[in-house]
Amino acid sequence: MMLHLRRTSLLRGWSGVCRCQTGNQPSRNSSSSSTSSLFVAPDSSSAGLVLHSQSTNVYQNLALEDWIDANVDLQQRSILLLWRNRPAVVIGRHQNPWTECNLPAMRRMGIPLARRRSGGGTVFHDLGNLNLTFFTSKKAYDRQRNLKVVTEALRRVRPGLDVQATDRFDILLNGHYKISGTASRLSRKSSYHHCTLLHSADRSALSTVLRPSCPGIHSNATPSVPSPVANLLDHAPTLQWEELLDGLVNQYNAEFGFSSALTLVNPTDESVFPGLSRMETELRSWDWTFGKTPKFSVQTLLDLTDGRSSARSSAQLHMEVKNGLIESCELDVPADWLPRRLSGELVNMLVGERFCPHGAAAAVALLLRSESGELQTRLHHLCDAVLSVMG
Amino acid sequence: MAACGLFRSLFSNFSTVLPLLTRSAPLSPLRLACKPYFRRTLASSSRLSAALKFTDKHEWIRVGDDGIGTVGISNFAQEALGDVVYCGLPEVGTQLAQQDEFGALESVKAASELYSPLTGEVVEVNTLLADNPGLVNKSCYQDGWLMKMTIAKPAELDTLMDEAAYERYIRSIED
Repeated sequence: MMLHLRRTSLLRGWSGVCRCQTGNQPSRNSSSSSTSSLFVAPDSSSAGLVLHSQSTNVYQNLALEDWIDANVDLQQRSILLLWRNRPAVVIGRHQNPWTECNLPAMRRMGIPLARRRSGGGTVFHDLGNLNLTFFTSKKAYDRQRNLKVVTEALRRVRPGLDVQATDRFDILLNGHYKISGTASRLSRKSSYHHCTLLHSADRSALSTVLRPSCPGIHSNATPSVPSPVANLLDHAPTLQWEELLDGLVNQYNAEFGFSSALTLVNPTDESVFPGLSRMETELRSWDWTFGKTPKFSVQTLLDLTDGRSSARSSAQLHMEVKNGLIESCELDVPADWLPRRLSGELVNMLVGERFCPHGAAAAVALLLRSESGELQTRLHHLCDAVLSVMG
Repeated sequence: MAACGLFRSLFSNFSTVLPLLTRSAPLSPLRLACKPYFRRTLASSSRLSAALKFTDKHEWIRVGDDGIGTVGISNFAQEALGDVVYCGLPEVGTQLAQQDEFGALESVKAASELYSPLTGEVVEVNTLLADNPGLVNKSCYQDGWLMKMTIAKPAELDTLMDEAAYERYIRSIED
């Protein structure tokens, strides 16, 4: 009962601290005793906060990171946020989802795509993966020190576990399995560094979704560096979640001299996080997820061979895609397979559309209705081939 | 740009007499021989253009005779950032208010936001950076410029630091 009260009041106290960035407003909260320490200028024991998100929705959790980054005064205090997501693929700020992940497979498996605001590469999240976000002032930004929290915590709960942070800020198990990757973001006054930690993720789903959607893409987007991965549970079979979380919280407190208990937070609670749902909406939007992809081109050969004739036929496709939209398109189809008039009309339909099978399909459906017979069949075949390039 | 200010904690443990920039720049006899190196760097860039103004987030703007401002990040910023691997720049035509985020640089350190020094409209972005983002590190005052913009409120220029003031500012945040 006391613990519950303490947690609730910590939350209210914390949100009070967040909203008044310039100073203390002790009159804000009616229950003064256990929250009063949060309203005074933090001394070393209250300068750190450990939060655990109750949400397993990737967009809500990414929005929670954005909210903390934008709203909490991190000059005097630091925050460790622990979170997990239901299966999702998360790409870095400047990455190309068509090259980084298998969009058709993800659609079939019901796995959403999210683009985060930090840099770095593509990762697969599921409930067997723990995310840790270290929020600090820019002055206190220190990724190696944060990773030391993780490696020390692991060594304490399982002495003899061979875990090591690399100079690329990965954590390797036994010298070559990646169990953690890192990314970060620096904004106006603060910074965050987040990393994954593979406890018991579905590795077969991971390898299915982390491959390209389609060949032939040329892009200067930031590429991922693929690595073999392992789960902690496979090498430390008795290490359960609770023990792992406790170990991490204790080590965070020990490393930075804090004494914070784990506090549950609910990102969907607008009274604690006003404006978070607006951030979530932006993160879910097509314009952010796909539209932010750096300009790229697609050059590929489409196989037009159908089952009926033995003749092989192919078409050369070249597209330029900017902001996720087809900026230009060239389609070189043998004139004896399909009249140039029709392939030309298809090109006209595609320019300006989203580089997305659903977006473009509506446009081409109109074109298909205007033809019939053999021509329609071939046009349909060509359209399918083009759409399949879009992931 | 957002990376700077954090690295003073990294470098504060290093006690050498050389200023921050010579420690991490590639060594050359000319650079080691001159002190203070930092002042020399700014002086050489100011010969090329007299009107460099700086923000406290380490962007610079140089106003041309045509009234168009060229924007980039300072040497202090590019050093703090590390190797730039990607430049996320705005669309031509984007309207920016002073201090609006206009893009981001991704480097080995982090993804770091860029803030507009003035209010105006983006008229050009440096397309060379798409294939060669390292230009920001190699030539931050010249070939590594980021964007060009109109200057809707010239009075805002007075809120920016001139080279001498920026140099003092750098020294103060290094302490």
